[in-house]
Amino acid sequence: MTTVATARQTRKRGAKGRGLAAVPRIVSMVVLTVLVLGPLYWVTISAFKGREEIIRSVPTFWPETFTLSNFEQLFTSTEYPVFLTNSLIVGVATTIVTVVISLAAAYGLYRLKVPGSGKIAGIVLLSYMIPGTLLIVPLYRTLSGLGLIDSYAGLVLVNVAFTAPFCTWLLRGFILAVPRDIDEAAAIDGAGPTRTMLQIVLPLLVPGIATVSVYAFVFSWTEFVFASQFIVSDSLQTLPIGLSAIIGQYTVNWGLVMAGTLFTLLPTVVLFIFVGRYFVGGLIAGATK
Amino acid sequence: MRSKAIMAAALTVAAALALGACSSPAADSGDDKEIVLWHMEGTPNRVAAFEAMADKYNETDPEYTVTVQVQDWDQVYSKIAAAAQSGKQPDILFAIPDFATYVRGIGLGQPVTDVVDALDEEYGLIDAAKAPYLDEDDYWAVPLYGMVQMLWYRADMLAAAGIEPPQTWSELRAAAEALTTDGTSGIALPAGKNLATDQVLYSLMITGGAADFFTEDGEVNLDTPETVAAFDLYKELLKFSPTDSASYAWGEPQAAFNSGAAAMSIEKGQYLAPFAEESGQDPSQLGCAPIPVADQGGEPGSIYYSNGAMVLSDDEAKEAAAGEFLSWLIEPENYGDFLNAEPGLFLPVTTDGANLEQWRSNETVSTYATCVDAMLEQSASGELFGFVDGQYIDSIGEISGQNFLAQAIQQMYVNGMSAEEAAAWAQEQMQMAIS
Repeated sequence: MTTVATARQTRKRGAKGRGLAAVPRIVSMVVLTVLVLGPLYWVTISAFKGREEIIRSVPTFWPETFTLSNFEQLFTSTEYPVFLTNSLIVGVATTIVTVVISLAAAYGLYRLKVPGSGKIAGIVLLSYMIPGTLLIVPLYRTLSGLGLIDSYAGLVLVNVAFTAPFCTWLLRGFILAVPRDIDEAAAIDGAGPTRTMLQIVLPLLVPGIATVSVYAFVFSWTEFVFASQFIVSDSLQTLPIGLSAIIGQYTVNWGLVMAGTLFTLLPTVVLFIFVGRYFVGGLIAGATK
Repeated sequence: MRSKAIMAAALTVAAALALGACSSPAADSGDDKEIVLWHMEGTPNRVAAFEAMADKYNETDPEYTVTVQVQDWDQVYSKIAAAAQSGKQPDILFAIPDFATYVRGIGLGQPVTDVVDALDEEYGLIDAAKAPYLDEDDYWAVPLYGMVQMLWYRADMLAAAGIEPPQTWSELRAAAEALTTDGTSGIALPAGKNLATDQVLYSLMITGGAADFFTEDGEVNLDTPETVAAFDLYKELLKFSPTDSASYAWGEPQAAFNSGAAAMSIEKGQYLAPFAEESGQDPSQLGCAPIPVADQGGEPGSIYYSNGAMVLSDDEAKEAAAGEFLSWLIEPENYGDFLNAEPGLFLPVTTDGANLEQWRSNETVSTYATCVDAMLEQSASGELFGFVDGQYIDSIGEISGQNFLAQAIQQMYVNGMSAEEAAAWAQEQMQMAIS
């Protein structure tokens, strides 16, 4: 009986100790959650408030007068649907081209025996580190010479120039994780390098492809500087530019801004819900292998 | 099987989007019978109004039709430079005086003296609107609309505190202090590194006798007792402004004012249109007064922005067509609609414009007629740094573009500099920028 009681006490003390030990973890998780989700919550509920309530000095944590007028105004009095469509087109195109280029580059640099591949890989990554704003004027001239100013293709080209180097490096870890024995086995079975890449190695790189896809799409979705410089027509403007214009100079319609921000966030949130785990895992894998 | 079908469908959609991206034509068609206009008034109502004006003009069947494209003020400096290098600049570019000097500095802009003189003769352009564009005996932009600052106050809050609208600096300071209570700030001022802060500070510099901070040789002469006094006042007033003022630009002071979190603010006519809806107050509770003047040596005034349009095309026919369009905008039957793109903020630059029925009958303008008239009166004594009393400082864009006045405020507000130190610091920075 005494032994049982002692064991119970020990278990209680252990559980209490573990509970106490978990407090900092739980507190930090709560703080982090509030920090990360707090602004998102605020944007969301503000989008459903009226103009008076949204700027009230004593804020309301839930809309007193739930309204959809901000969304209605967003879709009827602004070119938001056009901006959304443009961002989707540029984002998807950037993603596809980035995946194709970075996959081919990474495979060549890290899988095939290309002379000087190590140096080339270093130079590719170095190009990623050049601040984009320094390149605005030369890029403008180049795109202008190619007749690509004010076009989707021009913007996609520039986006890819900045996503492909990082994505190539990101794929390095995934490619190195695929055993070379597989290549040799495929070669014995008569597969050439292209077939080995497409039919043997590529299916094993799906998490890596998901990672670079998310990165390229989010880069394009949030890209502001190049879109603001290389797109001139209203009909081709992307979401960040459109939102910036909605904020405007001198006057700010906060409800409209919140509604626009919410709808801008949604696609990336949805994307992360479905493939976020690949992205996080992929970044870790790319960085550690 | 089903997942393969979904994958195939997804790939088809993605490929279609990607192909759409590659096949989209450049929007700038380069049509020889088209005039491309860039403006930076990106808020939805202004975009719609400007496009409506272009459509109305194009319906008159002109030889050159007008296409309007919206740009962002924050990006237009680098964008116009890049466009100029590639010969892709627009034919008409909206501008303010300091931006116009920058545009001319990169080799763009045609004189529009004939157009301005003709408009002046026919409708009477106010001096504050046209003078900042005069250099080397030529006008470099056609003035289209003006903006001027006022002291806005919540009449309900001042009445409750038994305070009259301040007319002098000492009254302004006393009112800001008296109106500051728990949860309410006496005044909401911007103190961010932005043009909003530049503008409010400059209005106080004008009424303190420090409007002109250049020597006759174009050297910076900011570090004067008048400037120091204006800096000191701003620093004092910031004690009665919301604690997050260091991040304020235009929208935040207005939100604080309309919500009742602040009793006064200094800004332009954009305060009129949303006041009743955002504050929930009767329009009569929005008070306005001239910018308070220094107790000693002060003079009435305010910053005044003349917004104009530069003609960039060097094609003679397009130049003439651009001039025709800009003149058409000012014609009485069109000008009211143009000003109503942002009623209350956009003020007429013609002496006749103040009486235009189209403009006067606008709901915002008619509701706040007293304040609109006060702004028109204030416009007469409006000034802009770099263009005071016929000055034309070529390098003013280097100063306004870097927000040195706002940076000086931050040096005081964030880094604790005294007004004297901040004025000396700003003088040094400005001089280095234009050297």
